[in-house]
Amino acid sequence: MGKRLLALLAVSTALIAVQAEAKTVIRMMHQGDPGWVSTFGEVAKRFEEANPDVDIELIYAPHDAYNEKFSAAVMAKQMPDIMELDAPFLANYVWSGYLQPIKPLIDKDILEDMTGSNIAQGTYPIDKELYAVGLTDSSVVLYGNRKYLEAIGARIPKGVDDAWTREEFEGYLEKLSKLGGVKWPIDTFRGYGIKTEWITYAYGPILQSAGCDLIDRNTWKSVGTLDSDPCVDALTMMQKWVKNGWVVPQSSGTNQFFAEGHPAALAFGGHWFYAEAAASMKDDVVVMPLPKFGPKGASPNGTWIWGITTASEHPEIAGKFVSFMLKDKELREHAKETSGYPGLKSFAADSPLYAPGGPMAVAFEQASKTAIARPPHPAYPAITSAFMGAVDEIFNGGDVKAALTAAAEKIDEDIEENDGYPPFDEQQ
Amino acid sequence: MTLQQPALTATAALVRPARRRDRARLFQEIGMLAPAVMLLTIFLVVPFLLSFWTAMTNQPLVPRPTPVRFIGLTNFLRIFKDDLFWTSLWNVSRFTFWVIPVQCGLAFATALLLNQKLPLRNVFRGMFFLPAITSIVVVCVIWGTLFQYPTGPINQVIGFLSGGRIQPIDWLGDPNWAMFSIVLLSAWQAYGFQMIVYLAGLQGIPDELYDAARIDGANAFQRFWHVTMPGLRPTHVFVLVITTIQAFKLYTQVAILTQGGPKSSTETVVHYMVRTGFEEQKLGLASAVSVILFLIVLVIALLQRQLLRRFDV
Amino acid sequence: MSDLAITAMQTELTRERSAIRSLRLVQTACILVIALVIVSPLLMLVVASLKDDRFQILADMGSFRAFWVSNPTLSNFWEVGNFSGELAFGRYLLNSLFILACTVGAGLVVNSMAGFVLAWGSLRGRALVLSLVIALYVIPQESIIMPLVIMVSRAGMTDSFAVQIVPWVASPLYIFLFYQFFAQLPKELFEAAEIDGASVFRIYRSIFLPLSLPALATVSILMGIESWNQYLWPTLVTQTDYARPIAVAIATFFGQDSIYWDRAMAASVLMMLPILALYLAFQRWFVSSFVGSAVKG
Repeated sequence: MGKRLLALLAVSTALIAVQAEAKTVIRMMHQGDPGWVSTFGEVAKRFEEANPDVDIELIYAPHDAYNEKFSAAVMAKQMPDIMELDAPFLANYVWSGYLQPIKPLIDKDILEDMTGSNIAQGTYPIDKELYAVGLTDSSVVLYGNRKYLEAIGARIPKGVDDAWTREEFEGYLEKLSKLGGVKWPIDTFRGYGIKTEWITYAYGPILQSAGCDLIDRNTWKSVGTLDSDPCVDALTMMQKWVKNGWVVPQSSGTNQFFAEGHPAALAFGGHWFYAEAAASMKDDVVVMPLPKFGPKGASPNGTWIWGITTASEHPEIAGKFVSFMLKDKELREHAKETSGYPGLKSFAADSPLYAPGGPMAVAFEQASKTAIARPPHPAYPAITSAFMGAVDEIFNGGDVKAALTAAAEKIDEDIEENDGYPPFDEQQ
Repeated sequence: MTLQQPALTATAALVRPARRRDRARLFQEIGMLAPAVMLLTIFLVVPFLLSFWTAMTNQPLVPRPTPVRFIGLTNFLRIFKDDLFWTSLWNVSRFTFWVIPVQCGLAFATALLLNQKLPLRNVFRGMFFLPAITSIVVVCVIWGTLFQYPTGPINQVIGFLSGGRIQPIDWLGDPNWAMFSIVLLSAWQAYGFQMIVYLAGLQGIPDELYDAARIDGANAFQRFWHVTMPGLRPTHVFVLVITTIQAFKLYTQVAILTQGGPKSSTETVVHYMVRTGFEEQKLGLASAVSVILFLIVLVIALLQRQLLRRFDV
Repeated sequence: MSDLAITAMQTELTRERSAIRSLRLVQTACILVIALVIVSPLLMLVVASLKDDRFQILADMGSFRAFWVSNPTLSNFWEVGNFSGELAFGRYLLNSLFILACTVGAGLVVNSMAGFVLAWGSLRGRALVLSLVIALYVIPQESIIMPLVIMVSRAGMTDSFAVQIVPWVASPLYIFLFYQFFAQLPKELFEAAEIDGASVFRIYRSIFLPLSLPALATVSILMGIESWNQYLWPTLVTQTDYARPIAVAIATFFGQDSIYWDRAMAASVLMMLPILALYLAFQRWFVSSFVGSAVKG
């Protein structure tokens, strides 16, 4: 009885408090480094000035504990209105019922401004609806050291269409391995670790280019795809690079491309790597498209984007804030400073780094020509975890076919345990 | 607080019947134990019992539209069938076996040294404690750099000292060396804990015992062996039990530096648990791992205590 | 004859003295070598915090350049040590200090009382309780954290200071530590006080507690470090700046794509200072032997 009275009292106090303020509170969960944290804070302030009846509450979660933080919020029934999410996890979140279609909530001009790759990363394959938008996107390109490339007389591709073929690429690796001053022909950033999204993000496109995938995107079965011959062949190729000593070892850090003496000649690196490399190497950095390992080129995409949750009581206002944020000039300025990869066409035109003729123009060209999203399936956490384990095994000399078969079986097992994640099981 | 006059208490005790005093004493003891027991129950025992229940379901980390089912011991059977689990158990056993002598030895040696009346003792006490107060993330960054292959500082020092005869070692990248490297950095980071426990323990040995030994003509080594060591028995027991448990919980260093690799050579039980629970989002399975870990370490801790008791420690 | 005896005694004395001196020399040499091994890795941290170019820090990693800075600057420290704005580290620092003080203060009382009863009480089943307490230490925080989050959020405790203090006050480790320290004290202490008619609480409060300064200092320091470095728990239960501790705030520098080495290192150095001060303040309690004098007196 006393408890009930207390609860009533608490509720009525809360009601009074809300009435007194009469403000709509929009809570946004995000990650990011200090620059982003303060940028979001300033955008929120500007929005509040323009909309005095809205209060934006920012909930910061460190990058490495973001998933745990979100899970905790869901279980504690404290979901935010707006959440930042990593694109490959979108299918999992939509399937779990946490996100709502965002199209009706976002300004039309933003929707029209989105690049194909940006739309792809925010789309759920079952209903083909858009659930998240981002200002930025991401990609991986092949960086080269100009001096080394000239020394071996390598052909420098002008655009995505004349990317190196597999034969060319492996030939150059061999030549570079014999070149003086080169300790390792290529850095594939094994230094990021073996349990990072990097593995699936960056190496997945090699499989897709070679003509296979992590999982069949129609039947949603991994056995028969991840352990198929093209995949075994592609990873045997990578295992050979490692065995030959062509790849920077995992425990040699992530700086060998630009460290003193430039021990690594090529770098299979993310768009963000340009800033690190160019800081010390300036014009000696050559940016090239990812090689074609088979019939078609492939490159990764996807980054942290914004979705509106089903728990939001004011989705329109939340959408209004997301639109406001994506158009905010100073936010875009900050994204440019951190060499953000454009996900909006207007932002691309405004970024000298990615605009035609800019040093990273090739990277942006990939977005419309070769970008393939990671498997948009709710089992993605299991898919990426299994693939990471297989790659570690293979790079350390394990049997390629056996490792891939084990990973494929693990993925299918997860899907079976979840009854095929209906309605994904009907997508034949 | 019941701070009465000593004289008063004494007379009262004489007058009061013994049984009543016993009961009062019992109540007081319960009262002193209660806060700890209550807090531990609410914040440790209850959540852990909840995870016993979770272990028998297929509960995902993030709630999903599919129903949570009771699946009995299926999770346990799956773990026992997973080679990786056994590998992780073998790995933490290896880690424990190595880290106890290295870490406790270093802690004991430094505590003994710092207990001497050496010049600048307080400065050294501060210095020796620095690793223990450095955040583990930073520790891992530093050691990741020191261990770098092939040109990291440790490899360079070894190359220099051996005149180039010893080839650079891929400390964290070679399955044969990775766990040993984790042992080194863990011992470096955490020995400060055992060191101050030993320092406190050394203070608990009465000076009279040393004086008496000196009068009997015992030399420094004899005093150490017949006074210091027996005086530290309870401390040794504590340090051994605690270090073992801590070793079995090895997680953070591995998560940051090797993520269980290369080739699962540094996979530990807690890392395996966090991976299934937080990355693959199978909370039920992860809870089952934590239940198994709890039972294993409990048995080891009890065995250790029994064994030490038998040796009259 | 007597001359001979005196000379013999003198030689004995000089021998003893020179033995002590050489022992001291060996000890000093040992301590210096250990100090070099222990401290040199940390030099890298300090050096990196004095470089203002994060790309340079990254490029220098893995070589001896990481131990050398040619033009040191304190600019990172100024950037990190701000008290206002979006990331006001001063605020987080105060939050952490407050949480630490409360956790350690309450922890000393709660755990030492429990340890004392387990060591000297008359309750039946103390041995069992002790075994259970040790067993509880086995549970890793990671395995109870999710149920705990649900519990505290149902109780409406999220985003507060209390939620970061109360769950960690009672600790199996420190109960065990107090237990073993109290159990080590001479039986006569307890018996004498009991004959004098002192109550259990009184024996604990006026006799055993004053004797256990080394244990209290140990627990203060260890609990302080633990509270100071709590990361996953406060990440999950804090939402806003209100009660966010410094360890969570520093994680911002370790971003997804790039790590802000310059400021991360400076912040890490700053974060060590309060704990170092705590340690230096408490460590002198180890110096003199309280127990010895108590038994004597």
